[in-house]
Amino acid sequence: MNSMPSAAPGQVPPGPNPAPVSAAKGPVSRRGLLRTLTGAIGGVLTLSAARAAKAAVQKGLATSEAPKGYDPLKHKWLMAIDVERCIGCGACVEACKTENNVPDAPYYFRTWIERYIIKRPKPGSGDARGEVVVDSVNGGMRKAGTRLPDLVPKEEILRGFYVPKLCNLCEHSPCAQVCPVGATFDSPDGVVLVDPKYCIGCGFCIQACPYGCRFMNPVTHTAEKCTMCYHRITRGLRPACVEVCPGEARIFGDLKNPVENDPITRFFETRKAEPLKPHLGTKPRVLYAGLDMEVR
Amino acid sequence: MRIPPQIFRLVLLTVGIVTSYSAARYFLTPPSFGQYGWFRGDALHLLQDRPRKYAGRKACDECHSEQVQKLAKAEHKTVSCESCHGVGLAHVDDPGVTLGRPTDGLCTRCHERDVARPVWLHQINPKNHYNGQHCVECHVPHQPNEVP
Repeated sequence: MNSMPSAAPGQVPPGPNPAPVSAAKGPVSRRGLLRTLTGAIGGVLTLSAARAAKAAVQKGLATSEAPKGYDPLKHKWLMAIDVERCIGCGACVEACKTENNVPDAPYYFRTWIERYIIKRPKPGSGDARGEVVVDSVNGGMRKAGTRLPDLVPKEEILRGFYVPKLCNLCEHSPCAQVCPVGATFDSPDGVVLVDPKYCIGCGFCIQACPYGCRFMNPVTHTAEKCTMCYHRITRGLRPACVEVCPGEARIFGDLKNPVENDPITRFFETRKAEPLKPHLGTKPRVLYAGLDMEVR
Repeated sequence: MRIPPQIFRLVLLTVGIVTSYSAARYFLTPPSFGQYGWFRGDALHLLQDRPRKYAGRKACDECHSEQVQKLAKAEHKTVSCESCHGVGLAHVDDPGVTLGRPTDGLCTRCHERDVARPVWLHQINPKNHYNGQHCVECHVPHQPNEVP
């Protein structure tokens, strides 16, 4: 702090607001010009270096798979379910597990079959229908030669039916809304998909789905769901569950490119169809024909 | 007029944050983001490239068109080849790989009596429908209405 008194008499004392040096030397000094030039060259160099760095970074991020001549904007896939045609054989569940490498454990399913049993009303109660029992033992999948366990004695049953379940392909999908990293999205061809590279496995979407259509894959630790066999439909094949369904309970088609005797067009021409849980406002695209009031 | 130092520091901080955000965004946004919507377009290709296992009825038709055409006229016309014969892509790629033989259990998987099944389906009770015989002794799987 005692440097001020020791300063030489000819020097300008270092004040808080010294006069600008360039202002004293005129508008364009040699030093100023050199500075500007160096800055400009440096800027250009940094920009090209940044471009190169960006390319290098994105090379690591990008997946190198080339498109296969399939344009997602020219298709709109949809599945519809005819409950009256489902015989509950479980072939679709088995095929889905095989095709998509879904873990064997009886609680990982991309699609499954629910069995609804409506009991007879209690005698004298005056009700039309009794209690409803819903189960899905091993997702409705039965090994050849085995039958599903009978939960309700035969004489107590009023009627029963099977309902196949899968991703409802919501237009306002809650799963896509809650994903914190944007890994779940609505693809333009009508499928709700998960980007397996960007999914962080937080599980929000699994909680958000009101239809219980998602699960956490224990191997990859990412959320998984029905993709409508995206690897098959983009190659002109039907989803595995539709392929094996013996009763044509699952109807599948491309709404933008209807074929001759299009099954999905026929379905909407001939059947009354309704979504599951319409009160939630998720606007499911998958519609069911022949639903009973008990189905959720 | 001088900028007060506390304001200057705030401006500096803001510029720093905005710059680092823009730099991160510039570098880390995947190139295919926004190609089809608010997601990474490459994810579609990633999902397309997953391996298949079921070949589809068209692939069966290429070699076994006789059986496929006969089946298309019979009661079982809605049943796909791979519903009973199992996954077939390995067999399509290499005909040396044989498919498993369908068993009686495959018949009862669909035709065993079950209260939850629709009434249009032919259902039997395996205990009294046949007496230790195999289904194919009386029924032809491809033409269920014919007798072998």
